[in-house]
Amino acid sequence: MTAFHINPLPPFSRRESLRRLGAGFGSLGLAAAAMDSGVFAGNGAGGFGTAAAAGPVSPLAVRPPHFAPKAKRIIQLFMPGGPSQVDTFDYKPEIARYAGQRPAEVDRKSLRNTRNGLFPSPFRFRQHGDCGRWVSDIFPRVAECVDDICFIHSMHTDIPEHAGAMLMMNLGHLQPNRPSMGSWLVYGLGTENQNLPGFVAMSPRAQPRGGQANWGSSFLPGAYTGCYVNIHEMRPESVLQDLRNNFVTHADQRRQAALLARLNRMHADQQQDAALESRISAMEMAFKMQFSVPEAFDVSGETESTLKLYGDSEYAKGCLLARRLVERGVRAVQLSLSIDGYDIAWDTGHDNIEGGHAVLARACDQGIAALIQDLKQRGLFEDTLLVWGGEFGRAPTSEGQKGRDHDHYGYTVWLAGGGVRGGMAWGATDQFGCSAVENRVHVHDLHATILHLMGLDHEQLTYRYSGRDYRLTDVHGRVIGEIVV
Amino acid sequence: MSLIRLLLIGLLTGLCGPLPLSAQQTPQELTEEQTTWFETRVRPLLAEHCFECHSSQAKTIRGGLKLDSHTAVLKGGDTGPAVVPERPDDSLLIQAIRWQGLEMPPAGKLSPQDTEVLVEWVRLGAPWPDAAAATTSERSWDFNQLRSDHWAWQPIQRPPVPTVQQAAWISSPIDAFVLSKLETQGLQPAPPASPRVLLRRLYLDLIGLPPTPAQLQEFEQAVAVDRQAAVDAAIDQLLAQPQYGERWGRFWLDVARYSDGFGGFLDAAALPHAWRYRDWVVNAFNRDLPLNEFLRLQIAGDLAAPPQPEATGFFALGPTYISDGGDPDATAQARAETLDDRVDTLTRGLLGLTVSCARCHDHKFDPVPQLDYYSLAGIFNNTQNREAPLVSAEVVQAFNDHQQQLKQLTEQIRSRREMADQQQRPLNAAETAAQKADEEMLERLQASAPPPYPVGHVLAESGTADMPLAIRGNLRKPGPIAPRRMLQILEPEAAPFTSGSGRVQLAEAIVSRRNPLTARVLVNRVWLQHFGQGLVRTPGNFGKLGQPPTHPELLDWLAAELHEGPTPWSLKHLHRLILRSSAWQMASSMNAAAFAVDADNRLLWRMNPRRMDVEAWRDALLAATGELDLAQGGPPVESLLDSPRRTLYAAVSRNGDRYVSDSFLRLFDFPLPRATSEGRGTSVVPQQSLFLMNSQFMAARSRAFAARLEREAPDDPGRIDLACRLLFGRPASDADRQLGLEFLTATGAAADSSVSQQAVSNAPAPQQPLSPWQQYAQVLLSCSEFMHIE
Repeated sequence: MTAFHINPLPPFSRRESLRRLGAGFGSLGLAAAAMDSGVFAGNGAGGFGTAAAAGPVSPLAVRPPHFAPKAKRIIQLFMPGGPSQVDTFDYKPEIARYAGQRPAEVDRKSLRNTRNGLFPSPFRFRQHGDCGRWVSDIFPRVAECVDDICFIHSMHTDIPEHAGAMLMMNLGHLQPNRPSMGSWLVYGLGTENQNLPGFVAMSPRAQPRGGQANWGSSFLPGAYTGCYVNIHEMRPESVLQDLRNNFVTHADQRRQAALLARLNRMHADQQQDAALESRISAMEMAFKMQFSVPEAFDVSGETESTLKLYGDSEYAKGCLLARRLVERGVRAVQLSLSIDGYDIAWDTGHDNIEGGHAVLARACDQGIAALIQDLKQRGLFEDTLLVWGGEFGRAPTSEGQKGRDHDHYGYTVWLAGGGVRGGMAWGATDQFGCSAVENRVHVHDLHATILHLMGLDHEQLTYRYSGRDYRLTDVHGRVIGEIVV
Repeated sequence: MSLIRLLLIGLLTGLCGPLPLSAQQTPQELTEEQTTWFETRVRPLLAEHCFECHSSQAKTIRGGLKLDSHTAVLKGGDTGPAVVPERPDDSLLIQAIRWQGLEMPPAGKLSPQDTEVLVEWVRLGAPWPDAAAATTSERSWDFNQLRSDHWAWQPIQRPPVPTVQQAAWISSPIDAFVLSKLETQGLQPAPPASPRVLLRRLYLDLIGLPPTPAQLQEFEQAVAVDRQAAVDAAIDQLLAQPQYGERWGRFWLDVARYSDGFGGFLDAAALPHAWRYRDWVVNAFNRDLPLNEFLRLQIAGDLAAPPQPEATGFFALGPTYISDGGDPDATAQARAETLDDRVDTLTRGLLGLTVSCARCHDHKFDPVPQLDYYSLAGIFNNTQNREAPLVSAEVVQAFNDHQQQLKQLTEQIRSRREMADQQQRPLNAAETAAQKADEEMLERLQASAPPPYPVGHVLAESGTADMPLAIRGNLRKPGPIAPRRMLQILEPEAAPFTSGSGRVQLAEAIVSRRNPLTARVLVNRVWLQHFGQGLVRTPGNFGKLGQPPTHPELLDWLAAELHEGPTPWSLKHLHRLILRSSAWQMASSMNAAAFAVDADNRLLWRMNPRRMDVEAWRDALLAATGELDLAQGGPPVESLLDSPRRTLYAAVSRNGDRYVSDSFLRLFDFPLPRATSEGRGTSVVPQQSLFLMNSQFMAARSRAFAARLEREAPDDPGRIDLACRLLFGRPASDADRQLGLEFLTATGAAADSSVSQQAVSNAPAPQQPLSPWQQYAQVLLSCSEFMHIE
């Protein structure tokens, strides 16, 4: 083996090598026999792989968390472009009282455009649920779920630019040269289903700005890269590259696989090289993925009532796919909103909050609420973490007449499910919703908290690269223990 | 300006709004003024009087109290919080420095002025600017002392060649070093590899292509006569082939994090001339350009005589980050990341040192002060990237003059014609003659036009100023000025670089024989490619956190050979030394006893078996199917999977997401060219198998391979045998033949009934079906034995 054992997860430890040598390479023989008898050659709806099937060396094999997790999987509902907090979930009636004025709170150095003063939200807010949280009328379905939601109103980030701020949200760094949060999670925990990718990123039509960087693995091994699926163009068989064979029948392919397994086994036995064994099991896994992956992405088997629950928007389809994926053991899903092929959808808020935000909310409201309900119905909600939010918020002042400019001093992100207290709000912005002033939460803190909920200590989840240990949270991050159940 | 006024300004300038400073406030919210005050008044007091016993750096932390971070101060020690924000009289820290109860610091009471500073600080809520943690520490660096601390800082000295018991095994001085270690452990080296295994290994090592069946046979016969002579001849022949430079050039391109640009978001620029650097590298290896010159040109080739600017692609092809909105923080960070790429590539790539770790603070493990990072960064801060001609100014001038003449002449002809047309008349006699003369002239000029000159991405000088250290790595927080110079641990009397950017002097310092690292790092990289593992198994980190060499004397002996051997700095000389050795020529066979003692093969009791890298594997596939095109150099191939060119010529994007070739290469562990790579991994993921089973590329190779076998051998057993010789470098075994024939029969029978079979399985029929022989060929091409190098 020539692998450089520089990363903390070498494919084979020395002890493991010894054990396997001692065992005479017999243990995986079963798999080859199974192949000959066609046992694992699924027929399109086969059972889902378990961690044990991964073999000893898969970089995606399940790894124990640092401590008992509250959530086993995560769905990030990413809202690129910066949704306005004061028009969605952070109710600030004081804005109307001072409309058109520019009190000191909103006169901040880096807010780019505050000339026109405070601009009341064009939307009506109502109280909902037992908790009585205020939600704008543009999210009527999500509003029904507030008792399951924990709002963080005191988010803040480093810069008011989409590019860097989106990377900060997804990578914890302003430049694209770091691994994404999803890839960190799969690196830390592995994934439950070896026949599906561990991390799937999806969006309808446009990828979020920055594209691959948002789900890339950077210096982590390539196996942790998110697999990107465009919901709009998606065909189940095209989810992974080379998933489909156009050259031989299933029966012939099974025969090819069996012969290849025999030849590779003869070679592995003769060479007594542990690395060769892992290739045999990887081939078996690949064979099965040809059936399990299209199956996971094929919603045609869903019931009428489920399909109706989600509705027919593209984002809702993504929500349904997200449920199917986490249900099958995928560790992390990132579902970004886009409409009309715009890569920072919520940025339409510059010109027109009323039109833009209403359309965007409508595009995702029902799907998100359906996802929460559906997960609850299936008993998955308790250990699935949902994270909703964009890279920053928008200022309570107006840009032009009807729009709002970026605001990174304060914005709202909400969490739900896995280990999060529902019906609560953490932190607060000032009376106008401009800056986080109470229990401030930086993106690094959010990341630390997400990792914590998933059973990982953000200070211990490290990867040695370029001579030093890297973390998702760099040298920052504080877990918000107060919002954890 | 009074302290209070400063703070008031801080409060009113807006960053914190109308809020009072409070303990909850996150650190980075302080204004510049507040930060400056903290850094110049508060922190120095704490550092000078308290940190010795109350900080993370303290040898023993007294009273469980640390005073070196905001959290620590609020948390306090055994007797409770050190500070109650805004209430100095209730704060233990203040009581202690007033000697009320506790008496701190024990060495003597602070002056009233100093005490008042801390009181004021607590009164204001004990604000703590996180972003401005310690700059370079005030500890003094005794480099002479530090140099004796760690093997890698010590000068290279040629050690004596050890004596061994089994002297017959020694074919090269290298063997004595290897064998003496084995003998100490009571281990035996593996037997020599068989000629077939040896030749396949040699070919793949040196040119990245497998030998043909004829070459194998010839070699076997030559070995029967005189093994060493046969090996020597094969080495010489391969080192003289142009494919050698392509193979070894590629290894270097990993170090150089070579790409055709397209780093994605915020680094999206194309580098259309990158291939000029790639071809320069290949050519340098082929002509055995001495390695010191090779490095010197890559650092400052634009300033050499004669200039070889394309060599500076080593740096110029790196990422150049931008910010997309002009936010000053984002812009500064983009600049800092770009500089960091240059420093990192220079130090990890050439020196095996992780100097980048000292970007925000002193290196935690190696003797690299933060100031030294900026001494190097300053060199690149005075350097710019340019797209520039790769030929002399005269050649460019001649080309441009010629173009100018052509343009003028064309214009003259056109305007004469136009004038006549405007006046609605034919050309008169004089005009016709002039027109004819001009047209003849134009034709002559066009025929004699010099060809367009080549352009490359190169470095150029842009200034000569030292840059300040950036506090916490933030270029917007300047600290002391860092004189441009070599790392102090490597250069005892590191003189400042004052000429231009300092690159010429930097290049000299890198290849200087006083520099203990460059030669060791180079030798180690060469060893790594020949053995699959370096003598230092962390090729990019020779510092304290790297692994020590498995054979330190051998490493130094080879490094000394590079410095002062018969042909100094000759890579081909190094190859011969290594390849002639019994160590390199060992078999990779398993030895349970040795494995039990040394499973990682650190002592080299056998050759490490290896998996081909993606370049060798794809090239070998195309060679086996008879499709490989050995054309050399030129612009990159964008759709590699449809091309017969060598894998080296694939277009590669820095973000790994632009070309089909990117995802193919990455699938098989090609490094993301975002940073210098110290070696390839050997990941095993199911997607690799999906590629083998289902890709258009593999189907096409299977067809070609089956066609070749059919052409070149008369019957099925003969074709199976030829396939094994082409792919594995050995004749077919009985098992190969039996399994192959069985497969062909079964698949052939199934093909006859394929219509009914498809009907049963209800699956769509394959669009481009493979014949039984093509299916069999695909299996053989997918075998791990083919990818494996014994």
